[in-house]
Amino acid sequence: MPSAFDFPGGVHPPERKQRSNQVALIDAALPSRVTLPLQQHSGQPATPCVSQGDGVKVGSVIAKREGMISSNVHASISGVVAEVSATHISIDGDGRDEWFRLPPLAWQQAEPQALLARLNESGIVGLGGAGFPTHIKARVVEQHAIHTLVINAAECEPYITADDLTLRHYSNEVLEGAQIIARLCGAAQIIIGIEDNKPDAIAALKQALSNGQPIAVELTVIPTRYPSGGEHQLIKKLLDLNVPSGGLPADVGVLCHNPGTLLAVLHAVRDGQPLVSRVVTLTGEAIAQPGNRWVRLGTSVKELLEQAGLNHPGLNPAALNQVIQGGPMMGSPLRTLDTPVTKLTNCLIAATIAELPPGPPESPCIRCGECESVCPVALLPQQLHWYARAQDDAQLERYHLSDCIECGACSYVCPSHIALVDDYRDAKHRLRQQHIETTKAEHAKHRFEFRQARIAREEAEKQARKEARQAQSRRTPSSSASASSGETDLRGLRIAHAAAKASVRKAEKNLARVAQQDPKQPLDDLETQLATAKENLNAAELQLTQAQQQSPPNPAPSKESP
Amino acid sequence: MSDSMQLWSILSAIGVLTGLGLGFGALLGVVSERFKREDNPLVEQIDALLPQTQCGQCGYPGCRPYAEAINQGDALNKCPPGGEATIHALADLLGREPEPLDGDAPSEAKVAFIREAECIGCTKCIQACPVDAIIGAAKQMHTVIEDECTGCDLCLDPCPVDCIDMLPRSSPLTQWQPVITPSPDLIASDQQGTPGGVHAQRV
Repeated sequence: MPSAFDFPGGVHPPERKQRSNQVALIDAALPSRVTLPLQQHSGQPATPCVSQGDGVKVGSVIAKREGMISSNVHASISGVVAEVSATHISIDGDGRDEWFRLPPLAWQQAEPQALLARLNESGIVGLGGAGFPTHIKARVVEQHAIHTLVINAAECEPYITADDLTLRHYSNEVLEGAQIIARLCGAAQIIIGIEDNKPDAIAALKQALSNGQPIAVELTVIPTRYPSGGEHQLIKKLLDLNVPSGGLPADVGVLCHNPGTLLAVLHAVRDGQPLVSRVVTLTGEAIAQPGNRWVRLGTSVKELLEQAGLNHPGLNPAALNQVIQGGPMMGSPLRTLDTPVTKLTNCLIAATIAELPPGPPESPCIRCGECESVCPVALLPQQLHWYARAQDDAQLERYHLSDCIECGACSYVCPSHIALVDDYRDAKHRLRQQHIETTKAEHAKHRFEFRQARIAREEAEKQARKEARQAQSRRTPSSSASASSGETDLRGLRIAHAAAKASVRKAEKNLARVAQQDPKQPLDDLETQLATAKENLNAAELQLTQAQQQSPPNPAPSKESP
Repeated sequence: MSDSMQLWSILSAIGVLTGLGLGFGALLGVVSERFKREDNPLVEQIDALLPQTQCGQCGYPGCRPYAEAINQGDALNKCPPGGEATIHALADLLGREPEPLDGDAPSEAKVAFIREAECIGCTKCIQACPVDAIIGAAKQMHTVIEDECTGCDLCLDPCPVDCIDMLPRSSPLTQWQPVITPSPDLIASDQQGTPGGVHAQRV
């Protein structure tokens, strides 16, 4: 049994989990209309494959994955497609709730390829918050050997109890889902990391573990401290492994999954049921019946909160101030309630003004260093704050801005009430934008060079044809006058030809090297470069042959004179 | 005797140093001739800082020719798509004084759009496009590949029927960023009684 190790920093915000973890998990009412965004995951948005007026059942694919990192989207109610737009698909329900399920798979016997294909078809993504497609995550084993699967049940953010309730009700199923993933990625052990503020879930897990598991499962209870649910923090805590800066847990042989994701994996494999619903925590002082619900994806947030007693005459406890999607530390306030629940909505907090008051106005940084002592990544938040405000990108990089997990611990303790995380998000966004701009410029440059090379080659071809025509019509080569200049020309052309050949080889080598290093990244630019080099070679070859034909085979008298 | 020894030692030192000088000089000369670089690495660096729209607003046919001209001593401020940021980056690289931009910086990213119903299929814009971002054939409708278009507006002038518009470029959802509302401008005494004074219980 590994003892608990420690990550630096961390805070203890008020938990407020009791409000939503007192009642059992129930199904939310079936919505009459759902709106499903095409992008509910990280990577590329999905492409619609239905059109307006099509009839769909629960679980029919309505948008297919597009590109390398992407995920399918399925209809979450049965009915008729009402709208297909560039960003979302709406479905009007018929209330019959008819299902379309894939054939069940016996995962103990199934081939890994079949399991991966099933995860891919079922549109499973990480339900913890990042929404990374699970089938891509499972394929990480092609590059890294995985020894441990970590079930991230820490759920360290205040208010949220979705994983807690999932584990209480479905501990056996979550463990079975974990067995599937562990088998897929060849992990030798499974570790559950759970905070000690969930005694009921821990009891349920212990009960489930007493049945015995094919791959060894270990339950590690860790003390409650925000943000122990961060992937890197949890791995440090459970296994004392440091995920390298800018790296993935797979770099140290670990894979992290959320209990909700594992449950969805089991449903997809055992029951053939794609990801069409998830557990959402509804909480906050402004609703009368807080708790966790199974919610169909695409349900309107407003409808859902109204079912839970928002603005209910008689029941209404207090006036709503704002609705936060996610937790109070990392979540974002919703600008409108006419927004759907997506694969990434784990919690909705309908907060009153007294519950989550707006932050007091910001004062200047007094360099107290409080933020530095709570940073779980051991960064220097105040330095980052200065550099982010000054837009000093070189220093931001030096101080590892990209390692910031945006947990909000620094903003939470700041005595000057500076919204530090907002600064970092802004700076990260700016850097990302700059990166996109430079890649675009590079791409445009390659295309421009290719065009130049193509035009040069076409010009050379034209010239060659013209010369050939002229030579045929005259039949008398008159190159004796330019013999000496022709010779130097020929030499120059030979050099140019050799250089062009070398650059083609270089471009080919480059392409092969990059393709071998990382087969996933796009190779368009390198391919364009290779094409450019080939065009240049063609042009050089043409010019060379043309010059060779023009100049007579070496002047004879110079050799015979002695 | 000692005099001639001294003279000899001085002469030999001079001889050795001259010999070394000549030897290394010859070596440097041979090497610089043998491994001569055709392209100028500074031009590459300048080119990397330019925005690569290939728009020709600087008066040169593309970004690379302008980079070569800058290397020859041309002004740094002729690139409107790059704006002030490019001028400062170039000034930093070359150790020159940044000058104010010659012309107006574009307000936003643009993309060319062909009103397809009006296009007569003359292929003039295809020939003008520096990055091959327009597809079409003679007497067939043309269209712009949005992802490849650099917004240089070189296709506008050749079009005989004026059917090309420059539209603001749409940014994908993935680049969306929440709007940060600035905190209200309160004076310090208004802050009294604000909640949130819960301090972290330090570990």
